[in-house]
Amino acid sequence: MNEASRAAPGRPLRPARNWTLIIAAVGAVSLMTWWSARGIGFSLVELACNLPGGRRLLVESWPPDWSFFPRLLGPLLETLQIAVVGTVIGGILAIPIAVLAARNLTPGFLVWFVDRNFMNILRTLPDLFWAMLFAAAVGFGPIAGALALTVFTIAVISKLWSESLEAIDMAVPEAVRAAGGSWLAMLQFGAIPQALPHYVSYALYAFELNVRASMILGLVGAGGIGMVLETQRSTFEYPRVTLIVLSVLVLVLIIEKISESIRRRLV
Amino acid sequence: MTVRTTLAPAAGMGWATQVTLFIAVLFLVCAWAIDLTPAALANLPRQMATVLSFFYPADLNYGATRVWPALLESIQIAWMGTIIAAMLSLPLALLGARTLFPRIARLVKLISATARAFPEILLAIYFVPIVGLGAFAGALAIGISSVGMLTKLGSEVVESIDMGPVEAVQAAGGSRLLALRYAVVPQVLPEIVAHWLFRFELNIRASAVLGVVGAGGVGGVLLNTLRYRHFEKAAAVLLLTILVVLIIDMVSGAIRRRLLR
Repeated sequence: MNEASRAAPGRPLRPARNWTLIIAAVGAVSLMTWWSARGIGFSLVELACNLPGGRRLLVESWPPDWSFFPRLLGPLLETLQIAVVGTVIGGILAIPIAVLAARNLTPGFLVWFVDRNFMNILRTLPDLFWAMLFAAAVGFGPIAGALALTVFTIAVISKLWSESLEAIDMAVPEAVRAAGGSWLAMLQFGAIPQALPHYVSYALYAFELNVRASMILGLVGAGGIGMVLETQRSTFEYPRVTLIVLSVLVLVLIIEKISESIRRRLV
Repeated sequence: MTVRTTLAPAAGMGWATQVTLFIAVLFLVCAWAIDLTPAALANLPRQMATVLSFFYPADLNYGATRVWPALLESIQIAWMGTIIAAMLSLPLALLGARTLFPRIARLVKLISATARAFPEILLAIYFVPIVGLGAFAGALAIGISSVGMLTKLGSEVVESIDMGPVEAVQAAGGSRLLALRYAVVPQVLPEIVAHWLFRFELNIRASAVLGVVGAGGVGGVLLNTLRYRHFEKAAAVLLLTILVVLIIDMVSGAIRRRLLR
């Protein structure tokens, strides 16, 4: 406007703005926010009114009920066992799924297409949904949890690793094929060794996610510490809930630190 | 037999073999501890097939009357949570950038690391008694738990910018606030908004499970249908959830790719 016309020579031009796009975007976001806020009864007034209650809850939940701790050790161990089993089975099953979903390695378009979409559908459902499904199918307990984490691990590793496989140097696999190697030999000697460090790194990452997830699987009856959490929560034993949450956090952070330090050395 | 003409990698028990063995033993011990015996494993496919056969046909009428509203609520929870997190994390992301605020950045990074360690469902356990059962508690839990990740990603974006414009604004006499407004924010905004959208995609999945602890959304519906063994109704929940999540992922992914172009 005025300012622009008075622009001194050599002053950089103001970048042009696409006002229609900006107005459309701001409008869409505001509309969506208004719809959501109304839908869930979002109100800062209500939040402010409830804060004293919240303070009371926090006062009640502190200090944690330390005497309860010995009874947590068994479930915590079970949680880690669920995570290990889920990560190992899922990690192994993820290998073929990732290979078939890598565009440069897959034996055919149809296989690639089916596998890719299978992978995408696996990723749409959250871990707890799988836990609920498996709990309904095989009964409440840690096996349901381990199966849920198996599916979750497949979803995480196959997606990430198929991308690493697509980024490998194709000269080596092609050399194996040119020397008369079969498709499997090509994978074994040409493709997989190149992406192996990535695989280990993603498996560790999946293990971190699984430890975190296995803590809450019990909320739907799939074993581990979450089952204790669910019983204490439904009876409003908040000092015990706090203790459980704290021990979960500490365990998750320890596993994460160990796994991160290994991963940093790998890739 | 062919003759080896190249050197083979060192034979014997390399550390990779040892690690593999260790993992194998650990796996067997853990599988034994949770009663995952070979017999139980062999029995699984039949068990799964039986239960899966109950899922057909999906009760689409139930889907339209009960599942659809719950799914919309899940979307609303995820959206409000993302908005809350975006509002809180934008200033924190700027403060957390080592290159702009070397001193405060350490503190902000520590806070965001702690916030990231909390799964949202554990936060919801605390918010439900405070604001009552329902979607509002869910949105707060999602919002607070997203702040950590968005702050971390955001400050990484800010740290990676070209510092030239910042120095130019300050050299021209602009204050630090002006430098943020005219040199930092325009550079980082597209990438940060892309991260918000990515978090929204994650939050859709997170909000879907919050119903398990009574914080609204579709998770509670699924839990109830499975608890009372109404598998055709559960099938409707799963179908609709997969469909909605796929569509949202596609739309949000397309917008993100455009933003980062």
